[in-house]
Amino acid sequence: MTEAKQKVVIVPCSGIGKTYGSVSRQAGYVVVEDLRPEDTQLAALSLLVMGDEASRAMLAGNPAITIDGCKLACATKMVRESGGVVAQDFAVLDVYRRYKQFKPQGIAELNEGGEQLARALAEEIVGIVDHITSGSGGRR
Amino acid sequence: MVDLPKKKVGIVACSGEELAEGTVTRLAALKVLEHLRPADTVTICLPLFLAGGAGDRAFARFYPTIAVDGCEQRCAARATEMYSSKPAASIMVRELVAENNLGQPEGKRCLNGAGLQAVDVTAERIAALVDDLLEKRWNRRAGTFAGPQDTPIPPQDSAETEKVATCSCGSGIPIQKVIISGQEVTLVALPLIFEQFREAGKSPGDATMHEMMDTVKIYNLVPAEAEPTYTTAILREYTTFWEQKNIIFQEYAR
Repeated sequence: MTEAKQKVVIVPCSGIGKTYGSVSRQAGYVVVEDLRPEDTQLAALSLLVMGDEASRAMLAGNPAITIDGCKLACATKMVRESGGVVAQDFAVLDVYRRYKQFKPQGIAELNEGGEQLARALAEEIVGIVDHITSGSGGRR
Repeated sequence: MVDLPKKKVGIVACSGEELAEGTVTRLAALKVLEHLRPADTVTICLPLFLAGGAGDRAFARFYPTIAVDGCEQRCAARATEMYSSKPAASIMVRELVAENNLGQPEGKRCLNGAGLQAVDVTAERIAALVDDLLEKRWNRRAGTFAGPQDTPIPPQDSAETEKVATCSCGSGIPIQKVIISGQEVTLVALPLIFEQFREAGKSPGDATMHEMMDTVKIYNLVPAEAEPTYTTAILREYTTFWEQKNIIFQEYAR
């Protein structure tokens, strides 16, 4: 019998009023839809808030990477409260400090700087995903 | 001058990242917050009901709230009711799409034409609900619409007309925990009330407390039989607050 392939769960923040929230979500989509569609899956925070069984099961069987848009770190907190293991937590502000050449603006629609920052963040996330899926670790 | 928050309507979008309809909720909420009703609306991220503090969980009691959901799971409506208070109104994108014979929204990152239409329709519905809710009187103690016998909310501050979208991330409603008869009680808006009274030069004392308790009772349920103990405890807290502010002021003036 073949064991189901482990997929890393990407959990971006649900931030609605700030640019960093939009960057976190965009980075999540870049990873899940463009860069590593075979190795990752997206979890919605709203479902975790409601204790959705399928989402909890997804977290129970797979490591998670969280992307928080602000210091309140809702994504990381919700994954932990849902019984998941956070393999790596990213804070968009910290990532921005590493890529200050990208100036993110906009909420409904990110500017070029926001898109570039999301892409840079996505590349960092992919590094962690590859580390996990290669079997060399990642659980913290 | 510190003002207690004027009456606004809260909007809680499900923001479901895994569905195009979730993107519709987020963009529709933003359209209302930024363009259609910027002075009358405020929002909070849904996860803050769990990940935030007591002030965040007071959100839907303080503001009559519209839950905006993408799908039948109605996470925003259910979570708001479960962790804060029953939403004053609730709408669901899929129902609006069907009602208006729109196409299927698609594209979580970049909505298709039907999705953008759904954003407009949803935003217009939210704005209409905002107008309806602002006409009604909201009881912040009970988190329900007020009957004619209930205390009216404070008059709106006409000076507060700044056209900005308001996000409650990390702020929620200011609260303060006070020990009353040995029990810790969370009082909504107390820090703002203290600040407002201090700025008006109202020093701690019986006359001030009579007026302050009237304000405290707008935002909090104070059992009639416990009012004297509440008054004593709040006077104690206000006296401490007053003295600390005066010390800070004196040190600053040196």
